[in-house]
Amino acid sequence: MSRVFVTGMGIISAIGDTVAKNREALINKQCGIAGLTLFHTKYTGLRPCGEIKVETHELKNKLRAHEKGITRSSLLALHAFKEAIADATLSANQLSSRHTALIGASTVGGMCLTDELYNDANKSENGSEYLSSYDCASVDLYLQSRYSMSGVINTINTACSSSSNAIMYGARLLKNGLAKRVIAGGTDSLAKFTINGFNALHILSPEKCTPFDRDRKGLNLGEAAAFLVLEKEEDIAGKKIYAELTGYGNSNDAFHPSSLSDKGDGPFLCMQKALQKAQLPASAISFINAHGTATENNDAVESQAMIRLFGTPPPFASTKANTGHTLGAAGAVEAVFGVLNLYYQEIYPGLHFSNAIEATGLKPETIYRQGSLQHVMSNSFGFGGNCTSLIFSKI
Amino acid sequence: MYIHHHTCISPQQTFEHADVETLHESADNKLKAKEPVYKGIPPGILRRMGKAVRMGIGAALPVIKQQSLIDGIIIGTANGGMEDCIKFLNQIIDYEEGMLTPGNFVQSTPNAIAAQMGLLNKNKGYNITHVHRGLAFENALLDAMMMIKENPGNNYLLGAVDEISAYNYNIDLLDGCFKKEIIVNKNLYDTVSAGTIAGEGAAMFVVNDNAENAVATIKAIQTIHTKDEMEVSRVLQQFIQQTLPDNEKVDMLLTGENGDARLLKYYTEVESLFDEYTTIARFKHMCGEYPTASSVALWLVCNRHQWPAHMIKKQCKNSTVRNIIIYNNYRGLQHAFMHIVKYKC
Repeated sequence: MSRVFVTGMGIISAIGDTVAKNREALINKQCGIAGLTLFHTKYTGLRPCGEIKVETHELKNKLRAHEKGITRSSLLALHAFKEAIADATLSANQLSSRHTALIGASTVGGMCLTDELYNDANKSENGSEYLSSYDCASVDLYLQSRYSMSGVINTINTACSSSSNAIMYGARLLKNGLAKRVIAGGTDSLAKFTINGFNALHILSPEKCTPFDRDRKGLNLGEAAAFLVLEKEEDIAGKKIYAELTGYGNSNDAFHPSSLSDKGDGPFLCMQKALQKAQLPASAISFINAHGTATENNDAVESQAMIRLFGTPPPFASTKANTGHTLGAAGAVEAVFGVLNLYYQEIYPGLHFSNAIEATGLKPETIYRQGSLQHVMSNSFGFGGNCTSLIFSKI
Repeated sequence: MYIHHHTCISPQQTFEHADVETLHESADNKLKAKEPVYKGIPPGILRRMGKAVRMGIGAALPVIKQQSLIDGIIIGTANGGMEDCIKFLNQIIDYEEGMLTPGNFVQSTPNAIAAQMGLLNKNKGYNITHVHRGLAFENALLDAMMMIKENPGNNYLLGAVDEISAYNYNIDLLDGCFKKEIIVNKNLYDTVSAGTIAGEGAAMFVVNDNAENAVATIKAIQTIHTKDEMEVSRVLQQFIQQTLPDNEKVDMLLTGENGDARLLKYYTEVESLFDEYTTIARFKHMCGEYPTASSVALWLVCNRHQWPAHMIKKQCKNSTVRNIIIYNNYRGLQHAFMHIVKYKC
């Protein structure tokens, strides 16, 4: 089966609207989590978020996206998609080819428009322009139509591991000969739906989140979109190559709808499967971009699962303290960061860490440093026990 | 990819003691699923399940019982638990983001269906939810085909679920998807107005690479996004050329015609590719229109029954139906073709 390479990337998050700006922010320990200024909710001031400080109408102008019914989730996706395809120098003909697949992911989709959705779902007349924009598929249907794409188009929703699964599905399409190139990633914008949902579950932190810290108080939500262009070895002569996608594993924790088991079977198994796929021993992993949401449950379980698999885990950190937890986009956002780790041979420091969790004693990386990185693992675990791990390798 | 077990909860009698001869009628332009008494789901858990989760789990349970080892769960659903989702949304607005209970929120995520299946069956294998609207099931099916190729000998639970909620019905009605006048499903194809009738259901399959005792095999699948009926026709011709052996013919074309006058051009164009040899049949009068309705078509192909007269649009003379093409179309944009070979009863 063909090897799969990353030939382009695009990202917009609370720490920057390009890959380069995100990298600078990671190096400089920049935290994009702050009080909400654009998004209106009762929790403004109470629950800091990784908000992208660009108004939706500004995004529309910048992207020349004035079609009816375009949501913020779609605009963020378009922003990242445009950067990724330009980076991979894909032509219009290549984009519209039957051999080009688009695999997106989202958990909020157009449900960021809570008030419009409320009216459209409950009132018998005066439908808004967003009637067919609320689902997650609306994002990828918009990209499909804008770029006249005719290959496999798909949207995945496995909660917080959605876009890791999109990348995995994309790689499998390539390996099975069902596409020559895949643009895979995900998007989510801030929504009352998720802010209230996570708040009702008591896992939103009132402060900036502190991944893997003993005194962590929960997660901060964020918004972002990221896409990676994946191509097969035989089709990329002369192109810039960032990294190889060598491993991926998907497993279900099968324990609880909204929390992980103490033993962390799902996290353990998906990491183990990814290693098997990459045909690597655990000791080959140079760095882990952990899921690290900073909830009580996730960080304890992820730590246990890493210890179970690695004995002494390799260096690790979570970038969720930079971007917030961007849900359906998180897997792709962190895949981009993992690829940057490899391409620039550097480790970005985890933020806001003070004391290790007593039961594990694990400490995330907290200082920027350069190093020799061969294989980087990226973890994403979602509600419903949906766990996925990806491995990228240095070229 | 071979299909070994198949179950379906639909607006017709498809779940237990299947009888597809009798056509159950729609009410208020909706075909609501005939839900069975769910055996084997703990009552406490059942009570908390929304309809989509309930139908999905209910349809999957007997399948999983028959096949002790399922290696993964692959589900297509456009909306998952839409009713729970909007209930939670309504709480957010009505209580002005006050103290909310998270139950509806957790139940409403589309991956809750596959997740509950994993949970109830302690299945720690591959678990995924495809949500690409009118091609959610087709992408799940493509996923299953790849998984089987990558993991020979494995069995996968492949399925699709979508529900009618008061809310998505309202949104889609405002969007012009459903007929303004009330019709009944037996007259679905006689109407010439825009829109169709709503439906819901769940269909589950166990698939693997083992031909022995299989009820059918899925030879190929292709999906496209286009509004151009000529493009649909062109791609279908290529599809058939690639998938059908030279000495065989298409015995049946099973289409997703849904009574929406705006979409008739696609079905007319596709039907015109076939001569008098091919029987043409339809299924949406049985299950209504919903994003993953093509899963019901696949179940109908697998089911060991005589083709009921109400499904037949054009009868040909050949008595064995072996090579079947399913053509489905969602809202004139998302199109899918499946080639299925049905084995003799």
